[in-house]
Amino acid sequence: MVVDELDLSDYSPTTTATTTTTEDDHGCNWNGWSPVVDWDMLSGDHDDFHDLIESMMDDKTMLHHHHPARVLNVHDGCNSAVSPGTVMMMDEEVTNNGGGGQDFKGLRLVHLLMAAAESLTGMNKSRDLARVILVRLKELVSPTDGTNMERLAAYFTEALLGLLEGAGGVHGKHMLNNGPCHRDDHHQTDVLAAFQLLQDMSPYVKFGHFTANQAILEAVGHDRRVHIVDYDIMEGIQWASLMQALVSRKDGPPAPHLRITALSRGGSGRRSIATVQETGRRLVAFAASIGQPFSFHQCRLDSDETFRPTTLKLVRGEALVMNCMLHLPHFSTYRAPDSVASYLSGAKTLNPRLVCLVEEEVGPTMDGGFVGRFMDSLHHYSALYDSLEAGFPMQGRARALVERVFLGPRITGSLARIYRARGDEESCSWGDWLGAVGFHPISITFANHCQAKLLLGLFNDGYRVEELATNKLVLGWKSRRLLSASVWTSPNSEL
Amino acid sequence: MERTFFTPKEARYPNNQSNGHYQLEMQSTNQPQSSHTSTSRSSDSGEPCGDGKWASKLLRECARAITEKDSAKIHHLLWMLNELASPYGDCDQKLASYFLQALFCKATESGQRCFKTLTSVAEKSHSFDSARKLILKFQEVSPWTTFGHVASNGAILEALEGESKLHIIDISDTLCTQWPTLLEALATRNDETPHLKLTVVVTASIVRSVMKEISQRMEKFARLMGVPFEFNVISGLNSLGELTKEALGVLEDEAIAVNCIGALRKIEVEERGDVVRMLRSLHPRVVTVVEEEADFSSFKNDFVKCFEECLRFYTLYFEMLEESFVPTSNERLMLERECSRSMVRVLACEDEKGHDGDCERRERGSQWSERLKEAFSPVGFSDDCVDDVKALLKRYRTGWSHVLTQGDDSSGIYLTWKDEAVVWASAWKP
Repeated sequence: MVVDELDLSDYSPTTTATTTTTEDDHGCNWNGWSPVVDWDMLSGDHDDFHDLIESMMDDKTMLHHHHPARVLNVHDGCNSAVSPGTVMMMDEEVTNNGGGGQDFKGLRLVHLLMAAAESLTGMNKSRDLARVILVRLKELVSPTDGTNMERLAAYFTEALLGLLEGAGGVHGKHMLNNGPCHRDDHHQTDVLAAFQLLQDMSPYVKFGHFTANQAILEAVGHDRRVHIVDYDIMEGIQWASLMQALVSRKDGPPAPHLRITALSRGGSGRRSIATVQETGRRLVAFAASIGQPFSFHQCRLDSDETFRPTTLKLVRGEALVMNCMLHLPHFSTYRAPDSVASYLSGAKTLNPRLVCLVEEEVGPTMDGGFVGRFMDSLHHYSALYDSLEAGFPMQGRARALVERVFLGPRITGSLARIYRARGDEESCSWGDWLGAVGFHPISITFANHCQAKLLLGLFNDGYRVEELATNKLVLGWKSRRLLSASVWTSPNSEL
Repeated sequence: MERTFFTPKEARYPNNQSNGHYQLEMQSTNQPQSSHTSTSRSSDSGEPCGDGKWASKLLRECARAITEKDSAKIHHLLWMLNELASPYGDCDQKLASYFLQALFCKATESGQRCFKTLTSVAEKSHSFDSARKLILKFQEVSPWTTFGHVASNGAILEALEGESKLHIIDISDTLCTQWPTLLEALATRNDETPHLKLTVVVTASIVRSVMKEISQRMEKFARLMGVPFEFNVISGLNSLGELTKEALGVLEDEAIAVNCIGALRKIEVEERGDVVRMLRSLHPRVVTVVEEEADFSSFKNDFVKCFEECLRFYTLYFEMLEESFVPTSNERLMLERECSRSMVRVLACEDEKGHDGDCERRERGSQWSERLKEAFSPVGFSDDCVDDVKALLKRYRTGWSHVLTQGDDSSGIYLTWKDEAVVWASAWKP
């Protein structure tokens, strides 16, 4: 830990470092702010930045040891040639020189973000202060330039500004669904491109699909008819690979008839990456091309996105699977938690053979309230950013696209959700919820686990997979858990 | 608006002072300091009153943290203030910047050094031209200083009516900008133009250096006006407490007027009584006193209260500057820097004997009155004088007004800005 060379509680000038007494020393005792920096804590490796945040979160009192004021490498700031009578505590140049400077700036940004979050909801709530801090942050960062931390801070700043402006009003809810960052506002080509990039450069998309698909394959081994209900089908890419797996089963039964019902969102003509119909057409064509018996259906959600199980067409004897992908790049998590709730509780009444759930892992609920969850969110996304950098090392623009199209809106949504919850409720994952309402876990097989490891092996070795519970695999980047894939069954389903 | 009641903010009114003689109650509402909105502020100020502006909140928290010696909190707040402050930003940012400096000095006990530095830096960059330009520009856009001049001149002229040998002792740092009007008035009187001896007592080191030029100009002006004139400067004093009757060169047959503009606050608190008595010993016809309306003396031992009062006063002052000057004004910047020196002096320099630089511990009009009443009794301002003040205020932007006090034997006019009393002018006789 950083040793305190300057301990203000003593108030004795002798603890400050010696000051020179030349003519030019304008002696405001700035030299007393010890330049002692524990550089081990501030590793030069940008990728490890989230470790720093993590260590800050572990013990809030430690925060004060990492406080930028303590690690100021301050020189004498009283320079009469520059600005007579104006004393500057931190010279801007100091913060921007080289590697040490970058980490320092990152630290500063984190502190500013935390201060902004605190002033939005803390005991000394002050929107005026929050606004001023956010304005300052905006001056320091840009969503397209700079380090991971700087770009991330830019998105967080935007998200907080959105909370500040929209909070508490009808406006707020509107912003949530139709704000400028909304997915549908992006050009379809952008979204497509970003999705492709995300898939190719990171295991996020495939991890969820492969784990779910493997569990499905194992669960419907001998069934003649399989019916999959997909909450958010997007491009349907998960099913293309499932179908391929079904068709290429050796020494097994012939491929079952596969029926997929995709939930579609009605209402105000929102485009998706591809419309559900287009996805359906594509899947039908693909199935035909590989000889997989297949039919595709749509099921409309209500205008408020509530799922009504009765609107589903079921067929006797089919094995029912409910698929629920909530992670990147899906948007549903924040958009309509009630909708997800209606889907999963609807699932209960349908007694499915399998429920596959992939969602974001959040940190443990701390007493930190909004600020605690905010910091956790910052930690989460900084890990995400670091991992993407590992996958896109030379391609800043590609990353920027993914960040703009997917991450930015997710950040906004996450923060809005945290803000609304305001730390009152326990943060509960959907997995916990499923367990609580009576679904039974289904073990993830050794084969499934190995497959996941293999998958990650294709990417950066910063990724790792853990088996957090018998039915839950978690994908993480370094020390941060990011995604979890879990498998469940209805207690009343026929096995 | 004559004969109205008003009182400075109750919360900060020193209740231990017996102000029984002066029942002052302001008609308009006294809102907390954060209510003054600045026209140039970009952030929306539609905040519930309890919230207050961010700068004052952080600053007050920091002052409290310093008193409580909460090291972690002090660090955090100083850091935040430093991030958000700027001497070139809006009012909040400026206040944050300058008060940050004072608080930092307080926390690190480096007030003396900082003050010395700031002063020497200011001295180096001052010249006669810049000082003069500054004062004149300020007088052009705001009646903050001219108010006192007009009121005092009126009282002096009336008190010295009919006298032929006048000796005005000017204890101020106004670079004699008060006197041309008075000289003119003397020159255009119906009867014989009297002989005027002007003795200027200068305290601020910055001003000392320019007095030579001033004396030349004053003598020239008096010649032009046809007023027999003699000019002396007393500038060697370390503090006003050292002023003596002998040093002032007072003669028997002179009619004396003592003019104290922002002078009494420069005297160390313990010596103020003595100085008042010394002035009495000069047997002046009139003593005019002009001071800024703030109380930095009562709470010497309560840092937080003292800080709050400083914050209140300088917030008012800065906002006034913002609304009076154009945004890019260099003069405004210099005036703000002057304030920063005062802030450091009041907040971060423990009152020890033997340090240089002037005291800056202001007192309110009612408090000065208490002191002055020991040796003098108040003289009311005549209707003519008040008319002159009204005419003066009309020349400036809206927001300025005046209030006469009422009490048993009180006198004095307050200059108000947006219904806040900011400057107090009064006249006294033995």
